[in-house]
Amino acid sequence: MILDTTARTSGTPRSPCAAVLMATALLAAATASAADTPAKSSEQQQIDSLQQQLQAVQAQMKQLAEQNQALLQMLKPQVAASPAAPGSAAPPGNAAAAGGLTPPGNLAPPAAASVGAAPAANGTPVSGGAGFSNVKLWGYGEVYYTRPSRVPSRAEADLARAVFGIGYSFDSKTEFNSEFEVEHAVSSASDVGEFEVEQFYVDRQLADPVTVRAGLFLMPFGLLNEHHEPTNFYGVQRNFVETLIIPSTWREGGFNLHGDTPLGLSWNAGLITGFDLSKWDYAPEFPQYTTALDLEDKDVAPLQSTHQELALANAHNLSQYIALGYYGVPGLTVGGAIFTGNAVKVPAPPNAPILGDQRVTLWEGHVRWTPGKFDLSALYAHGSISNLGVANASNPGSPNPIPSDFYGYFLQAAYGVWEHGDYRLAPFVRWERYDMGSRYAGTTGPAVPAGLLPLSGTPGDYGYWPQNHDRVSTVGANFYTTPHVVLKADYQWFHVNSDFNRFDLGLGLNF
Amino acid sequence: MIAKKIGSGLKRASVCLLAAAIAACGGSGTVATPAAAPPSLAAVAGKALFFDASLSASGRQSCGTCHVPTRAFTGDPATDHGLPVPLGGRTMDQTGFRNAPSLMYASFTPPFSLDGGPVGGFFRDGRASSLAAQAQAPFVTSFEMANADAREVVGRLQDSPATLAAFVAAYGNDALSDPQTALNDMGLAIAAYETQDDEFHPFSSKFDYYLQGHAQLTPQEQNGLALYNNPGKGNCTACHPSQRQSFSDHALFTDFSFDNIGVPRNWAIPANNAEAVSPIDGAPLSIALLPVDVPSDAEYAYYDLGLCGPFVPAVGDANARPNLAATTSLCGVFKVPTLRNIAVTTPYFHNGVFSGLHQVVEWYVTRDVNDNTGNNPNPVAAGPGGNPYMPGGTFYTAADGTPDLYEYNDLPVKYDANVNIVEVPYTPPTFGGGQAPTLNAAEIDDLVAFLCTLTDGYDPKNPSAYVIPAQCQPTAAATAAALKQGTAP
Repeated sequence: MILDTTARTSGTPRSPCAAVLMATALLAAATASAADTPAKSSEQQQIDSLQQQLQAVQAQMKQLAEQNQALLQMLKPQVAASPAAPGSAAPPGNAAAAGGLTPPGNLAPPAAASVGAAPAANGTPVSGGAGFSNVKLWGYGEVYYTRPSRVPSRAEADLARAVFGIGYSFDSKTEFNSEFEVEHAVSSASDVGEFEVEQFYVDRQLADPVTVRAGLFLMPFGLLNEHHEPTNFYGVQRNFVETLIIPSTWREGGFNLHGDTPLGLSWNAGLITGFDLSKWDYAPEFPQYTTALDLEDKDVAPLQSTHQELALANAHNLSQYIALGYYGVPGLTVGGAIFTGNAVKVPAPPNAPILGDQRVTLWEGHVRWTPGKFDLSALYAHGSISNLGVANASNPGSPNPIPSDFYGYFLQAAYGVWEHGDYRLAPFVRWERYDMGSRYAGTTGPAVPAGLLPLSGTPGDYGYWPQNHDRVSTVGANFYTTPHVVLKADYQWFHVNSDFNRFDLGLGLNF
Repeated sequence: MIAKKIGSGLKRASVCLLAAAIAACGGSGTVATPAAAPPSLAAVAGKALFFDASLSASGRQSCGTCHVPTRAFTGDPATDHGLPVPLGGRTMDQTGFRNAPSLMYASFTPPFSLDGGPVGGFFRDGRASSLAAQAQAPFVTSFEMANADAREVVGRLQDSPATLAAFVAAYGNDALSDPQTALNDMGLAIAAYETQDDEFHPFSSKFDYYLQGHAQLTPQEQNGLALYNNPGKGNCTACHPSQRQSFSDHALFTDFSFDNIGVPRNWAIPANNAEAVSPIDGAPLSIALLPVDVPSDAEYAYYDLGLCGPFVPAVGDANARPNLAATTSLCGVFKVPTLRNIAVTTPYFHNGVFSGLHQVVEWYVTRDVNDNTGNNPNPVAAGPGGNPYMPGGTFYTAADGTPDLYEYNDLPVKYDANVNIVEVPYTPPTFGGGQAPTLNAAEIDDLVAFLCTLTDGYDPKNPSAYVIPAQCQPTAAATAAALKQGTAP
């Protein structure tokens, strides 16, 4: 069996098993070499000598085997507690807050800091035969109960996602990882759920500090996108900034180069597929969302509604990104990333081409600091789309023109208030602001219908159209029963769309 | 009132302005007829067939009689003595049952489908599977071209040398050997004409040039477009998309879906009125009502129920939709027409009940404002608080012009639940806080101004040459405002 200690990155394994095998091989070679030495004594002396050597070798092998077992026992908990491991109880980037399972001051890049991180690369090796020794399996999922306090009739319970990952190590430098997700419990033509491939890529380590990745992979943006397992973030739902501005779970197809330096700098740069503005719906007849849960789930934000997810993605225009992170100071994570690329353009009528490109750019900066039991974080993200004047001007009165600028930011503070064994309680507060359309070209903005209007095709379903910007205050707590299972509760106040105020309960797990 | 959505598709109507025409109403715009690629032999034959009145039993009616090019291929009111339906038959004294639809942009229609709600197909009820199947039907319809059968049609074609030559050139010397095959080929030829000739889809409206940056909408037209798109105001784009869809690179202003919008009954259709007299000589009419499966307790003897009948798919149309007469939830639904050229296709809706665009929009936004039917013991008078657009307070009138007992009076009360009440601009009384029209009078003017920009034949290089449809003539105030803005058409 090969023990994978590559943790979150796909670095060269430093397996004690491998060391033992190498030592054994060297010893055997030396033994063989000795056997080739011309005999200087009688045949019996040679036999005695060989027997002694054999016994010595056997003793050394036994000793090495014992050392190997001891090392294995020592490494198991460390692997489990590795900050980037999906099985870790650590909140993003804060191993210390996760019950101290990761040694403080560990210079291994925290999950949220690493821009080359591969959440899928940490599975549990499958036992049961040599043929499966390089296979890893993992998974995570979450169940919500959300109750809009002003519109309780819209309370919903949902198995939001169930995800299963499969990885395979071809050799010490080549690794495959994948994740498959079922959203909303049932996926069929007549149900609301979806089945999707969230990650599907191969890593090949080119040198110690450089790995190349190709396939469908998560974008290294923000604190959450690459580490979206429910044990890795505060609150029942993901924050709005990293949902509506950074379109988590955001993945693209292509390749990247990534790595870490000994000084704690992680880097990641890639060439990938981009966005498709031809999918934009200028004419939604009804509000695209009427609850906060809708807002997160229905892909209404600028980049949510236009991402391609490598599903017959238009690849005429490739996009680029670069992300940098610094985790050289224990407990501190600082990072940022920028993406840019020409999108598939909004369709223009024949003989009326939209001159120029429509370029999507998204950048973000984030910081996380975990002094003592505190877990403090902040993030700002800003997106823009160019050359929309003609397209928007052709659709006056649209409740949903394409924004030229959109942004969001949040401040968050958590505190590990109580721990007992595996139990851990961490209350938190978060204040965030998002604006899915802070500037529009070619139009003054969305023509949001006023007054009580039909919200759907269901008779009697009337209400108000929501605004596409808000400020949200969240108070809640994560309660870990084990590092891999978390119960969550929170309440959110929406300052503009106050009908979205809601109470949430959640169950999340990760292994 | 219980609302009933047609199918699961939510894109339903709003300011649905069913095109078509027959009766007179004002002037007509000019539809450009630029021809691009040379037509095929089939299209040449189709054009000859389309305009050959000698192929009818009366010798006085061709396809072009009810689908006049200068009226966006709808009817000519002068021909039909003011009726909202065509006259036809062997002696041209039989009245039809529906307002003739525009044939423009019809070639983009998708095949009929019930997946996700009814969509597509030809005729107003989608009963023909193709443009060709539709085109051959009037030749053998008793109240239209009135040939007894395909053999009679072929006989008349043989007596029409020029048309026959074009037809034989396209389909060969043996083309007439089997009458039914010949009739099928005649349908194919006409379909080729309607598909290949840009006359049917020039995309030459002011709106098209506006999108291309070659024309500028006036502030009124621009505001009208915004109201058209706004889901809380006109919401017209819900069923008549101003954005292009999968059917064409251009916006077609229809999604080809079906809807029941509860239009008022048109008592001017002879089939609807036992007291009807001939528009020709004033003699009482004896209408052979088509069999339609109306409920036993229906208020009137005859209804046009759209997908439910009375018309059914032709026996020989193998790919036609099923007979939906028993699907009562579809009773009263009709296909959403294109709004391109809507300003020159009066009257409006399948029954031609309205003769002007203003009236249509006024009806849309006040349809459910107040129940001013004869069954309401406390009707609200016309004017503020009532229906400001109708002296009697309602568009739903009985044959004598007084408020009818029933609101959706072109539908048996039993099927009222089929009427779409879940979308703007409908504001049914059951919806709390509603009842106010979503457009005021000025906004209706603006919306109509925009609809007028959908008329083909606009020349951005010589806009003054454009013949503005009569109902689109700007008011003096609008003209002054446009001149002030420098955006006069």
